[in-house]
Amino acid sequence: MNSVFARSDAPRGIRLDVERIEFPNGLVLLLSEDRSTPSISINAVVMAGSRYEGDAKAGLASLVGELIDEGTRARTSQQIAEEIEAVGARLATVGDYQVSGAHTIVLAKDFNTGLGIIGDVLMNATFPEDQVARQRDRRLAQIKSRLDVPRTLASDAFNEIIFRGTPRHRPPVGYEKSVSELTRDDAVDFYRRFFVPNNTLLAIVGDFRTADIIREVEQTFGEWQRDTRFELPALPRPTGQTAPREKFIRAPKEQVNIFIGHLGVERTNEDYYVLLVMDTILGSSPGFTSRIPRILRDEQGLAYSTFSNITSSAGLDAGRFVAYIGTAPGNLDLAREGLRREIERITREPVTPDEIESAKSYLTGNFVFDFQTNSQVAGFLIDAEVYHLGFDYLQKYPDLIRAVTIEDIARVAERHIHPEALTTVVVGPVSDG
Amino acid sequence: MTTSTNGNSSFITRGAQKTILPNRMTIVTKELHFKPIVAAIIWYRVGSRNEELGQTGKSHFLEHMLFKGTDRYRKGEIDLVTLQNGGANNAFTWLDFTAYYFTFASDRWEQALEIEASRMRNTTFAEEEFQSEKQVVEEELRIGLDGPWEALENEVWAAAFRQHPYHWPTVGWLEDLESATAADMKAYYDKWYHPRNATLVLVGDFDTARALDRINTLLGPIPPGPEPPPMRIVEPTQRGEKRVTVKKETPVERLLIGYHTPAVGHADSFALHIAEAILSTGKTSRLYQRLVEQDSSVTTAKATYNDHIDPSLFYLQAELKPGYWLNQVERAIYEEIDRLNTEAVTEAEMEKAKRQIEAELVFSSEEFLQQAILLGQYETIAAGEHIPEPSRGYRYLDNFLDRIRAVSAEDVRRAASRYFSEDNRTVGYLINSDSESKEGA
Repeated sequence: MNSVFARSDAPRGIRLDVERIEFPNGLVLLLSEDRSTPSISINAVVMAGSRYEGDAKAGLASLVGELIDEGTRARTSQQIAEEIEAVGARLATVGDYQVSGAHTIVLAKDFNTGLGIIGDVLMNATFPEDQVARQRDRRLAQIKSRLDVPRTLASDAFNEIIFRGTPRHRPPVGYEKSVSELTRDDAVDFYRRFFVPNNTLLAIVGDFRTADIIREVEQTFGEWQRDTRFELPALPRPTGQTAPREKFIRAPKEQVNIFIGHLGVERTNEDYYVLLVMDTILGSSPGFTSRIPRILRDEQGLAYSTFSNITSSAGLDAGRFVAYIGTAPGNLDLAREGLRREIERITREPVTPDEIESAKSYLTGNFVFDFQTNSQVAGFLIDAEVYHLGFDYLQKYPDLIRAVTIEDIARVAERHIHPEALTTVVVGPVSDG
Repeated sequence: MTTSTNGNSSFITRGAQKTILPNRMTIVTKELHFKPIVAAIIWYRVGSRNEELGQTGKSHFLEHMLFKGTDRYRKGEIDLVTLQNGGANNAFTWLDFTAYYFTFASDRWEQALEIEASRMRNTTFAEEEFQSEKQVVEEELRIGLDGPWEALENEVWAAAFRQHPYHWPTVGWLEDLESATAADMKAYYDKWYHPRNATLVLVGDFDTARALDRINTLLGPIPPGPEPPPMRIVEPTQRGEKRVTVKKETPVERLLIGYHTPAVGHADSFALHIAEAILSTGKTSRLYQRLVEQDSSVTTAKATYNDHIDPSLFYLQAELKPGYWLNQVERAIYEEIDRLNTEAVTEAEMEKAKRQIEAELVFSSEEFLQQAILLGQYETIAAGEHIPEPSRGYRYLDNFLDRIRAVSAEDVRRAASRYFSEDNRTVGYLINSDSESKEGA
């Protein structure tokens, strides 16, 4: 390398003052003031999602997420949309794998409008029969359209294998069959059961005075009754596969999409930070510096998109270790072997001092970019609460990364990466099998 | 070096300053100190608009080559330097421009200047790098071919633009890519990559005087380069509807309708931005209300209108639910278009659309990079002499929102009726290759 110099010290930090309030009904409010733009992000998260629906009801949480703003006791679907859009804001409602809820960004002066609507959809959704039918039909069409994208089709098939026997094998949007049988009662039951204050986190970040917000939140959510019998259901824990598996799916496409990997780790895994450094070395980094993109894309020209990671899907439940490549059908064997070779190598050979230092510099230096927008900070506050990271995480994180050694990576790669038991899924102009 | 500071302006341009170096390179700087980061983005006024038939996709391919090595940075080293300094980088090419960006912590952002200074004139174009990157670009193009929308978009734009270069997609045609050579790429680079054709935008936590000093040292010595050749191709007025059908194996049929609309700076462009919001922003928008709520015939429908250097398309897209007919959805869209063409939009809808446009700008400005992109994009595309000098370049954004606020319901109706006509449209159907074209009752 020439005169370019790498630093391992983290850049000047950013300050985050966080206020955490737990209301008598169990609702947890997380606040952080930031006056840099005249806007406020409101993120309400209910700790429930498709992980709590059975296969027969697959798609229920997702449909509920779609429906909570389609009518409440106080407002019609139309009124909700009109009220929020009249102030230039947009309301996003969601039902995902582990969380559901609503999110909006409003100009600071319109905060009460945003909070009022969020409160209404969390507490008072009515699930009108005609809206249930309409959104269910729409969802059925979206399921078709989603699988029109070969990478999504391959990813879903991969999840079905590696998460077999656990809720995570299902796509959160569900299947055509299960979604077509979902009813209004299903939606109401799910909503009543999980949308309770003692299962809800509310993160608000932006241009406000904390005392004002606490008062407003108390007014909006104060009457919401705690469910004293509420508890989250237990879930089956996944077991990793012990032998390789392969699945080929024919699709008339220009590329083959290849997913290789297996069951991953939970976010709270003690090896998480070591794995983060490993990811950066093996297959997730900016540009094409990590091994898989550098070798398969930059050197061999096999792909536009190729990567690997184990940490990015780590959540309350174990995520996946996955390596991906999209390439011309003629390169199938070369690409598959290339991915396997790099997966195996990381478990056998120690990474180099240059690799680990570069990865650590990147992770400590780039951390500040995760806190640029109010919505990013709100997302962090939720994560900090869910995974018990502590609000001083910003100060702790650089040390967690700096402590990682070459030996740590060798140890966790051997523990968490299993080249002898990889699932391979291929979608493209191939024969089914 | 000439510098002009922006005093009376909108929140987007407030504090922005423009400097022209003696070598004619444009620098736009905007200090913001509330986060310890800097976004640096360099724009070249060259995109697929500047290409020729038979050599399409060169602008985008060139963008890839600028990461493949210079006299000072070996292949892969630009990414490595970015990584080791905790930054991020990427690049994008579109019809009118090519742009390269870095985001770094503010104590090390000047790395970006060193890299841009090196690769503006000293990219190496090694033959083996060119050959392997050609495969990468072809794979990128194939992703597009496998995507559900790109095939239809390509055909509609190709039909709508008979002779203007907006005829082809930015990534180019596969056949042209296959025949491209490293020498072609180098010649194209030598034609367009010079200070005279470049704008560097910095937004974030830096000191302007010091930054300009450093820019002068690193980029100042590069010769201005030749005058960029003008692009004189004008698309003639379309006289009559054009229709295309694309067959693809797909479970979901899609519809795309494009209307020729004017370029950035045209008085009607502001009314068209409002029309876009009325038709397609949010659940109260007309396309959502009509097609998703009332007819239940589509999963999504949207309208898109972007400012470009030359007149482009205002286009509408819909993805059909199974059991509905393309011609029925098309007819429903025309009914909504006719409403816009003939009836005045209500004051409440006008007000909502204006607030939505303003709020989107506020929300997106939270990220320094987004601000830098906005400033650089308009500095690059709003440069034509048809735009009055005080609002040329990034200063187009000074009064962009004022111009939006000044649009009346009658302006929207007049603009809609002028452009949203049968003779001015190109209609594309994407149908399943197994099926015959469907006709609804």
